[in-house]
Amino acid sequence: MSTKIRRITAGISGLAATAFLASCAKNAPQDTWQPKGSNARTIDNLQEPVFAIAGVIGVIVLCVVVYCVIKFRDRGQAMPEQTHGKPALEIGMTILPALILAGVGVFTFRTVFELAKTSDTQMVVNVTGQQWWWEYDYPAQVELGITKPIITSGQMIIPVGTKVLLRETSRDVIHSYWIPALNGKRDAVPGRVQTLRIDADKPGIYAGQCTEFCGLSHANMRMETVALSKEDFAAWVANQLTDAKSPADKTLAKEGEGVFLNQCVRCHQVNGLKKADGTPAIAAPDENVWAGAAPNLTHLMSRNTFAGASWDLLSQKCRADVWGASSETVGKKYLAGVSEACLNQTDLRRWLRNAPAMKPMYSDPTKLTPTNGKYRGMPNLGLTEDDIDKLVAYLSTLK
Amino acid sequence: MFTPGSKLFLGLTGFAVAVSVIYVALVDNSMGGAVTLLFIAAGTALLAGLTLFNRDGDVAVGATDAPAGAEQLTASLWPLIATVGFVGIVVGLITHPIVFLLGLIALLAAGVEWLVQSWSEGASSDNAYNASIRGRLLQPIEFPVLALVGLGVVILSFSRVMLAVQREAGAIIFIGAGAVVLLVGTLFALKPNLKKTLVVSVCVISAVGVAASGIAAASNGKRAELVAANAEDHFSHKDCGEEKNAHFDGTAQGTISLRSSVDATVELRDGKLIAHELGIDKATQTITLTKSNNATIIFRNKDNKEARLTAYLGTKAVQTGVVEEVLDCTQMIGKGHEQALTFKIAKPSMASVKPYTLTVPGLEGQSIEIMVP
Ligand code: HEC
Ligand SMILES: [Cu+2]
Repeated sequence: MSTKIRRITAGISGLAATAFLASCAKNAPQDTWQPKGSNARTIDNLQEPVFAIAGVIGVIVLCVVVYCVIKFRDRGQAMPEQTHGKPALEIGMTILPALILAGVGVFTFRTVFELAKTSDTQMVVNVTGQQWWWEYDYPAQVELGITKPIITSGQMIIPVGTKVLLRETSRDVIHSYWIPALNGKRDAVPGRVQTLRIDADKPGIYAGQCTEFCGLSHANMRMETVALSKEDFAAWVANQLTDAKSPADKTLAKEGEGVFLNQCVRCHQVNGLKKADGTPAIAAPDENVWAGAAPNLTHLMSRNTFAGASWDLLSQKCRADVWGASSETVGKKYLAGVSEACLNQTDLRRWLRNAPAMKPMYSDPTKLTPTNGKYRGMPNLGLTEDDIDKLVAYLSTLK
Repeated sequence: MFTPGSKLFLGLTGFAVAVSVIYVALVDNSMGGAVTLLFIAAGTALLAGLTLFNRDGDVAVGATDAPAGAEQLTASLWPLIATVGFVGIVVGLITHPIVFLLGLIALLAAGVEWLVQSWSEGASSDNAYNASIRGRLLQPIEFPVLALVGLGVVILSFSRVMLAVQREAGAIIFIGAGAVVLLVGTLFALKPNLKKTLVVSVCVISAVGVAASGIAAASNGKRAELVAANAEDHFSHKDCGEEKNAHFDGTAQGTISLRSSVDATVELRDGKLIAHELGIDKATQTITLTKSNNATIIFRNKDNKEARLTAYLGTKAVQTGVVEEVLDCTQMIGKGHEQALTFKIAKPSMASVKPYTLTVPGLEGQSIEIMVP
């Protein structure tokens, strides 16, 4: 063998080995081969045998091709006799794959119908996609303690072992909700409602990614489903049902509330927030944002990621503690929310200083003609550092 | 082939056109400069045509290429079309931009065709060969354009006819025309030896027939029903009350093709209003809709009395201090009929004094509450 060929072979085997090892990564939260809920397991039960069958067939075909290439290579021998067709072989080679595919098809159809089942649903969440974050609203479900609708974003909280029906739609373009550990994908299409069922075996934080290209920040449109034990879920619900309380007078947070009323409330709703005249402050994202919505911030600090679940609200150390927790302890740690000590000040401040510099969004005020003057995403509001201090203090109270 | 003189002028033409495009795109799109450049292009194009036609005035070349006594060439239509185009441009400047545009297109097309034709006719002494090289150059453009124009005329004419005749007649005409096309097409396919003139005259006569009926139909106007609907503007008379409204409820459709993926289905049965949300088996009196998002509700009337579904969507300020209720509704429909209603609620429930609801006007005590978080 020449050194050149040897080098190429070594390079290729190196690459192959890397690819192989990469596929064994431990920390791969979006691995489709590690189901953590019954729907994902249903899919896995189909894909494993299909993968095995396809793999065996692939290897056989490859071997036959290699064998033929070597055995019948041109050694200067005479041209063999040319014939046309071999009906027995041709028919056989049509029927055999057809049978294999039919077999796979039967199981695929069964799986598809199994996944589409909604009759034994135990809980419902409306999931709405928009550029570039997910909103969740929970209709009132008294059996689950949800006495009035709950609204949140980025992280969806579900009780463990509960069959949850997601009713998906979109406010602008097509998005797709995908938590690989819990189920396959389902597109969220504007004007339509489509359903997807998920459930989780154990408490934990399950990561996902919008999986239908949706524009500029598609890559920053992430999401998580957080499964909590039934008790922890009840505690989460109880907290979400409360309104935000106004900070005590003469605190930095109180000043922050003032800045929020001036700058932020035209897009962001905080339930319970009152204007100076004592009437409820109602956000008007429909007048300012192209999709017609901005995240509800009433319980911002109860979630631990923000802006399309793409940045952490928790500092690195605290994040490792929550995300690395065992299924027994993760619930309590998650419910603790984001304490002042754990707050990831750096990224939150960066966001308030200039959001579009952090996450690309169409929010340059001079370029809004195509959207009738409305923003897609959050604009740079040109806040002073002073205002940002106050806002961070205020946002920290939104537990 | 191209003579040196014509190459110069063709090059100048191309250059002037390219520069005018760049000029419009980059320098100034007010057209003044571009028009000047285009006139230069037109002038050089004319000169290119002339030099091509007379082979740079080189008698020797012309003589070898086209010996005396060569076959008489067919008459050319292009000068005529170019004239029509030119007249169109002038008339269009006075009357309507469309005429101007059509004139311009005719003039440009005729110019190109004329140029290529005259070039090809001088290319060799063999007329058949000359025709073939002309075809090779232009037919890839001509055929699609002709097909498009032909199809456009047929579609436009046929649609005018469909808008003019009664609804029932429309269906019959559609089926009849389709059947005739199928029959005649089958006949042509089965009898490939039919006389070409017969086939051509059948096609031409039908094309003229379609175009003529289209023109007749268009000048006759749309059927009364459509004119009336247009004039009265159905939806500006949207009336969401208990009474049947002549305008808005006039031509209510009883069925919808929408079957799946709606937010909820609301049914009126035995005097009761019941909702079903998509994906949830249990009936409900409360539905939850996402804020600031189009929601679609299907309404089905299973009772004998005519009914409509009315959505109460909060209030809006019409002037300072004056607020008005925002309502949206389906048309009034009878038993077994259905309608869809699409609306958007921009503010959460807490912003509204009265809850958002779906009701049937005139039916007391029945209402579906809409919650908007
Ligand atoms: C023009 C509308 C608009 C204004 C004004 C606005 N925001 Fe936003 N904000 C948004 C949008 C849209 C998003 C979602 C961006 C994304 O994730 O893609 C967002 C996201 C956020 C988030 C992340 C929330 C989450 O759960 O992911 C925070 C925190 C936030 N904004 C705070 C503020 C504060 C504080 C102000 C006032 C200084 C403010 N915003 C003003 C539109 C706005
Ligand atoms: Cu998306």
